[in-house]
Amino acid sequence: MELKDRVAIVTGGATGIGRGIGEVLVRYRAAIVVADLDADTAERTASDFAAMGVPSMAVVADVTKPDSIEKSVADVLARFGHIDILVNNAGVAGARGWHTSADSREEDWIAAFEVNVKGIANATNAVSPVMRTQRAGKIINIASIAGREGRPALPHYSASKAAVINYTQAVADELAPFNINVNAVCPGLLWTPMWDQVGHRYARFNPRYEGLPSRQVFDTMIQDVIPLKREQTPEDIGNLIAFLVSEDARNITGQAINVDGGAFLR
Amino acid sequence: MLSDRIAIVTGGASGIGKGIAMVLAQRGADVVIADTSIENATDTARAIEKLGRRSIALETDVTRRASTDAMVSTTLSKFGKIDILVNNAGVGGGREWWTRSHSNGDDWDRAYMVNVMGIVHGIESAQAHMKERRAGKIINIASTAGRRSVVGFVHYSASKASAINVSQAFALRLAQFGINVNCICPGLLWTPLWERISERRQSHLPPDQRLSPREYFLAQVKQQVPLGREQTPEDVGKLAAFLASDLARNITGQSINLNGGSVKS
Repeated sequence: MELKDRVAIVTGGATGIGRGIGEVLVRYRAAIVVADLDADTAERTASDFAAMGVPSMAVVADVTKPDSIEKSVADVLARFGHIDILVNNAGVAGARGWHTSADSREEDWIAAFEVNVKGIANATNAVSPVMRTQRAGKIINIASIAGREGRPALPHYSASKAAVINYTQAVADELAPFNINVNAVCPGLLWTPMWDQVGHRYARFNPRYEGLPSRQVFDTMIQDVIPLKREQTPEDIGNLIAFLVSEDARNITGQAINVDGGAFLR
Repeated sequence: MLSDRIAIVTGGASGIGKGIAMVLAQRGADVVIADTSIENATDTARAIEKLGRRSIALETDVTRRASTDAMVSTTLSKFGKIDILVNNAGVGGGREWWTRSHSNGDDWDRAYMVNVMGIVHGIESAQAHMKERRAGKIINIASTAGRRSVVGFVHYSASKASAINVSQAFALRLAQFGINVNCICPGLLWTPLWERISERRQSHLPPDQRLSPREYFLAQVKQQVPLGREQTPEDVGKLAAFLASDLARNITGQSINLNGGSVKS
């Protein structure tokens, strides 16, 4: 699983799962482009990666704006000359304040779709011409186990992640003739800032978890729904991605793979 | 990646099983080759020893629980533990299945006994040891045919769908013991099985209109595989090696398609 000199863009790469993915790819010696809305954090993360001994750069990118991500791609090409890996990780659970509402609001539906679905399409559209010319490329889309089966909680988020899985299948077919692999990864339960908010929402609106601190909601849910009875980590997600973008997985495309301790079986 | 691990590969003497065994050995594992053909198993075990790993060949019939029990006990007496069990042994049908265009009762029975019960026997024989150690990686080989039925190959398709389901059942049952159970669904690979499928599918054609088995196979690849290339036993081995490693510690109960994009769900 050697990735030396491969250039990987990770959207939403400054923090959380995105940063964790970058950390794993660094172990395999990939060059990391930290693409994020938050310039300062992206710079900090990129300089952390550089300190680990790999080329790294930060780009400010808003995946909901095609112009923004196209400019980022141009900057990456100016520095590295090629793009081998795109990890479409940037995602939201809803619009600002989504976790304070029991129901999905109009703005939550729009935010989830704009970032989680169209954001992936925008970044893919910006990067895929480069990969087509190279006749080589690996694209990984971060979906979620929420996208595997509709659940009462977070319908806007679940529906957007189901769309990610479906989009992955379509683009895999479209790009296969150019030797580009496109796969989706569906993380299960990871303790991230997003899950902190999910926990708050459950504690408020779900009787089973009423009044619990969000970390306790999370721990209870691990026991309730994860057969392996342990949380998943950004490192777990990064490990699968490192495999999928390596030549070991050259004949895997169009698939969505759960990293969820057995919560959903596919 | 797999240093000091002990792995058993059923059907490990040839085809996909041999590819899996070789890759596991390349990644550091010692490998037991369990196969109905002791001659072929011995050849493969020697090839693994040339990689600098330990290997033994065991004559094993996965349709008999007594035989998988012996496979496990011999492995334990030779190597002391089992970290990885790859249930790969499979058949296309009953005796001379490739000479028939339709499944007969023997095809159904053999496909079920080897492709499904072979997995059940392998796991049931190995699980007590793995439970006791609270560790183990089990990988079952199903097929793309288990995801989408192949016309005219209904007994095989059904058995592979069942292999996927059995993988889920054991994943749920064994998770509490820290054992991961996953399944791989390979697509189009040039193996003895596919050589026979090529013959079978063209048996109704006059001899002068038949393609060679290899040509027929490559035409299928071109028609069905978006990436436009065949998959290989080594591809399956690499996915198996990943799933058998600690890198995949939180992946269980999954069936992963390795088919160049031909089937996506």
